Amino acid sequence: LAGSIQKYVSVKDEDHFYHQGAVELLIFNFLLILTILTIWLFKNHRFRFLHETGGAMLYGLVMGLIIRYVTKSPDVESGTVYECEKLKSGPSTLLINITNQVYEYQYKREISHHNVNGHQGNAMLQKMTFDPSIFFNILLPPIIFHAGYSLKKRHFFRNLGSILTYAFLGTAISCIVIGLIMYGFVKAMVHIGQLKQWEFHFTDCLFFGSLMSATDPVTVLAIFHELNVDTDLYTLLFGESVLNDAVAIVLTHSISIYSPKENPNAFDAAAFFQSVGNFLGIFAGSFAMGSSYAVVTHLTKFTKLCEFPMLETGLFFLLSWSAFLSAEAAGLTGIVAVLFCGVTQAHYTYNNLSPDSKMRTKQLFEFMNFLAENVIFCYMGLALFTFQNHIFNPLFIFGALVAVFVARAANIYPLSFLLNLGRKQKIPGNFQHMMMFSGLRGAIAFALAIRDTNSQPQQMMFSTALLMVFFTVWVFGGGTTPMLTWLQIRVGVDPDEDLKAKAASQSASDLDKNTTKAESAWLFRIWYGFDHKYLKPLLTHTGPPLTSTLPEWCNPIARLLTSPTAYGDQLKDGDTVYIINNDELTENYDSSAHIPVPAQDSTGSIQATGKEDIQEGDLGLGGYKLQLQHTADQPQKNSLA
Amino acid sequence: MSTEPLPGPRGTRMVQFTQAAIGVCLCSTAELGIRILVLHPRSERSFWGFAVVGLTDLCPSPGVLVGVVLRYGIHVPSDVNNVTLSCQVQTSPATLLVNVSGKFYEYTLKGEISAQELNNVQDNEMLRKVTFDPEVFFNILLPPIIFYAGYSLKRRHFFRNLGSILAYAFLGTAISCLVIGSVVYGCVALMKVTGQLGGDFYFTDCLLFGAIVSATDPVTVLAIFHELQVDVELYALLFGESVLNDAVAIVLSSSIVAYQPAGDNSHTFDVTAMFKSIGIFLGIFSGSFAMGAATGVVTALISFSLFGFPLLETGLFFLMSWSTFLLAEACGFTGVVAVLFCGITQAHYTYNNLSTESQHRTKQLFELLNFLAENFIFSYMGLALFTFQNHVFNPTFVVGAFLAIFLGRAANIYPLSFLLNLGRRNKIGTNLQHMMMFAGLRGAMAFALAIRDTATYARQMMFSTTLLIVFFTVWVFGGGTTAMLSCLNIRVGVDADQENVGVPESERRSTKAESAWLFRMWYNFDHNYLKPLLTHSGPPLTTTLPGCCGPVARCLTSPQAYENQEQLKDDDSDLILNDGDISLTYGDSTVNTDSVASTRRMPWTGSWLLGTMNS
Repeated sequence: LAGSIQKYVSVKDEDHFYHQGAVELLIFNFLLILTILTIWLFKNHRFRFLHETGGAMLYGLVMGLIIRYVTKSPDVESGTVYECEKLKSGPSTLLINITNQVYEYQYKREISHHNVNGHQGNAMLQKMTFDPSIFFNILLPPIIFHAGYSLKKRHFFRNLGSILTYAFLGTAISCIVIGLIMYGFVKAMVHIGQLKQWEFHFTDCLFFGSLMSATDPVTVLAIFHELNVDTDLYTLLFGESVLNDAVAIVLTHSISIYSPKENPNAFDAAAFFQSVGNFLGIFAGSFAMGSSYAVVTHLTKFTKLCEFPMLETGLFFLLSWSAFLSAEAAGLTGIVAVLFCGVTQAHYTYNNLSPDSKMRTKQLFEFMNFLAENVIFCYMGLALFTFQNHIFNPLFIFGALVAVFVARAANIYPLSFLLNLGRKQKIPGNFQHMMMFSGLRGAIAFALAIRDTNSQPQQMMFSTALLMVFFTVWVFGGGTTPMLTWLQIRVGVDPDEDLKAKAASQSASDLDKNTTKAESAWLFRIWYGFDHKYLKPLLTHTGPPLTSTLPEWCNPIARLLTSPTAYGDQLKDGDTVYIINNDELTENYDSSAHIPVPAQDSTGSIQATGKEDIQEGDLGLGGYKLQLQHTADQPQKNSLA
Repeated sequence: MSTEPLPGPRGTRMVQFTQAAIGVCLCSTAELGIRILVLHPRSERSFWGFAVVGLTDLCPSPGVLVGVVLRYGIHVPSDVNNVTLSCQVQTSPATLLVNVSGKFYEYTLKGEISAQELNNVQDNEMLRKVTFDPEVFFNILLPPIIFYAGYSLKRRHFFRNLGSILAYAFLGTAISCLVIGSVVYGCVALMKVTGQLGGDFYFTDCLLFGAIVSATDPVTVLAIFHELQVDVELYALLFGESVLNDAVAIVLSSSIVAYQPAGDNSHTFDVTAMFKSIGIFLGIFSGSFAMGAATGVVTALISFSLFGFPLLETGLFFLMSWSTFLLAEACGFTGVVAVLFCGITQAHYTYNNLSTESQHRTKQLFELLNFLAENFIFSYMGLALFTFQNHVFNPTFVVGAFLAIFLGRAANIYPLSFLLNLGRRNKIGTNLQHMMMFAGLRGAMAFALAIRDTATYARQMMFSTTLLIVFFTVWVFGGGTTAMLSCLNIRVGVDADQENVGVPESERRSTKAESAWLFRMWYNFDHNYLKPLLTHSGPPLTTTLPGCCGPVARCLTSPQAYENQEQLKDDDSDLILNDGDISLTYGDSTVNTDSVASTRRMPWTGSWLLGTMNS
């Protein structure tokens, strides 16, 4: 076939092709092992200024430095590009006839013009660069799933309104503020003449804003957990950061889709609304997909799978992964689906598991989360030196730094003010400062930035995002403990006492709260009533049997769907469980009503408490709050009783 | 808009990836689902006589179903406009930049394509998507399986039968490889006469086939044995053989591939080349062994100090094991073999250093990984039967191969058992021999070896035939295990402890003294020096080393070992119990106090990891 073809060769030995990957992975393993050893040392000596992620990053950085400047590229590159008139588009497979031997080539990616030269640098660097899709498809899902899985805590539901506000409104605000500030800086850069060669549109600024909006305060949370910081603060931060990620991912996606017809800089209402619709559609779709997978998992209650803990754990793992993959295949966001799958599974499926598999599942996800997190942070350190198309622009970086702070402030303070208007239990000023301070950037921001680094604006954004992650993790992460003391935030809070105190204050201002709660929580009450009466019995072994909750004419169906264990003594207990259960969310919705219930049936209540303890306390609180929560339950209920 | 995702009709690497992953994920999920349904009623009624179908014998079936659907049910319009380009390059570059109407695309090398495949390539895009890179098996799926196997080998019965197991594994595999090679060569010669052969097929190819299908993998049979508590001796023999077998077969096949006689005629017999191959075999095997053992020891040393954070411990354990694999691969050894010996070493030393919780976690983690990997491979086998696009099924060759594996297995088991029985006190009964003959299933390893290289006609035929052999043996032999057990009158429901009591003390002693002196020496050394050095158990080094080494010993012994010193006596009796595993000679019938930890209820097949036999 005649095609005037020139060539681009990076010769590689056939033998080396065989073992390709071993060395690179070995380097990673080595770094991770070093990290683990260091962390062990730190934990043993109670150093808190460097979290494991920070350590991983540091080691990655050192290794990147070594690889960059010590290893020599052995390759003699002849950087020419084949041209082929026959091809109209790049096919996914290319067969090339090289001296009568046909080779098969597979499409990898498109490369922009200015990268062609940078592309052929050091072969070692190139090998150390992972395919960005690895982050999204392999490393992020366990992290997010674990986060979702750990969300089922009473404090989370108590603060649900505030968390949702921070996550949705806050992220949107933050995205827009960062976008605007960056746009100002970009304009300034154009003015100075630093940005001649390429264009940096407003959508790019917004894109940057949305990816920098994903906060990830693992470091801070780990310290909080260790020091037993106020649970409300912990929950607010954790909940915000988890939902934040989901919002930021979908936001990024819809911004990247936003493409006005003619002028890319002009505002186009139709395209804008399309993007908004896109956002809502993807978010809702992913939510539905995740939840429905979780529901499928629930059907395990009809099998006696619990006799085989390993099968159960395997199924759990595979179904969660399937949720991710099918969401991706359907054009939705897999990570969001996984998040909600985790939340739902923690709520329902977990109750169906045998105690043995509960432990196993929890530990498995904890382990995977640990590994994935450290790999990502390690890779970040490496990428600072091994990524070959960095564009560091001091002005842009400075602008980003300013923008991130301003945006975080614009997120936290006004929203807290608004929320405090409605909240009975205010978010005090020092909490707000702490939340402002904990706006670390982490894995998600990095993964979003590295996803596509073809054009120059994207490369600049990636480099800047990387620096931001470094800065926030080391400086803010390291400064958490001093900041806590400086802001005089209570540490070493025993959650029991905390709750007791609250219970005491509740009874004091009963009437007052009744009205508050009745206003704010009726939606949740309805949902939980529905959940408890219909969903829980349908999907788990707990709750009252469906036969008692459904109207009479559904009886045959109800009988079919209720698990046999739900009958029996469950019925009476079920109701008390319900009340105590709901007490978490509408904590003082009707606190006087608690008193008669245990009085009526005190033994039942104790039984129920015990049961609930097992369910709630064990419930996948991951590494974090297991103990804390577990001890929290009992005294509170006892005090109520 | 610069942030637009990849343009074009096939800017969809993502989708490709996801589809492939989905295919497999759903496949394994479906498989799991079926497994749950099938296994369920069965396990409830798993009493004697009832056909307890093992765990893996249904494994390929869902894969087959999905494969059929993909092959015949889905017709994806082939949008690949493959163009064969000719160019002046001498070598095939790993990456290729192509300029297509102003846009640069990067392509990566996937493989060589032989002439007759040219037309098949663009056949069905969907099939292509569910076809995995063969290296995935070797680099991702096999290591956990093998590691877990090595990790499970720490059992008394294994060490008691070490000699026989080694004989079966090394000599037996070599015999089996030669026999299969010769029979298949005869078959190929026949095919040449009748003109059925569509390509070259040399004697080395036959030997390679022999090496590939010599790797036995009786997971199904072992699962059933475990459930029915078949004679422990038989169990240990089969399991040990199958584990070491794999290692031998891998190294054997890679050294056969390396056999390249000098001169023009590259397929005649050449003494130097043969000795070179043997040298390669020994080199790779001992290299991998040394590397695995070394990293095992390093892990033990590291974990010696690491204590109290289960997550970190498990992470370290996992990473170290994986590093072993990678290190061996990077050095040109065989990663799988290294991982096997790393597993054995770690089970022996490192495991003792872990806290109880991390022991649990680690065990469960590897159990799960093993489970997933195994199921994945078996599902994929089913899939590959239909989705692999270059199958060469030749009836004569298939029949010949079946004949060959039976003959090879027979030539392995019967003569070796006869020889071993000459030396063994505790003879291997004929019914046990028949059972071992019967349990020669082929599994994941044979498949992975066969799929590794399917470039030539001979390799493709080998792959197709191996696939059929795996299917046949897993379904027929695996399914017939229970029937065979009752037919051969093999004792089931044996309690391991009772059996020990049965043998008179004096007899045992003399037997052991004859056969196991080498092992005894090793174990004394191990107990006196290695264990205290690498773990927290055992007597402190200061007591076992001669006086002159006092200072060195003191700094090498863990402080905990000193604390144990008061319990030194305890320790010693512990030792005897512990070593009871290995050389029952010291033995006593109280072996079941071995360790509390080991009698923990482990609910799945892997429960015998730490020995249910002594419970």
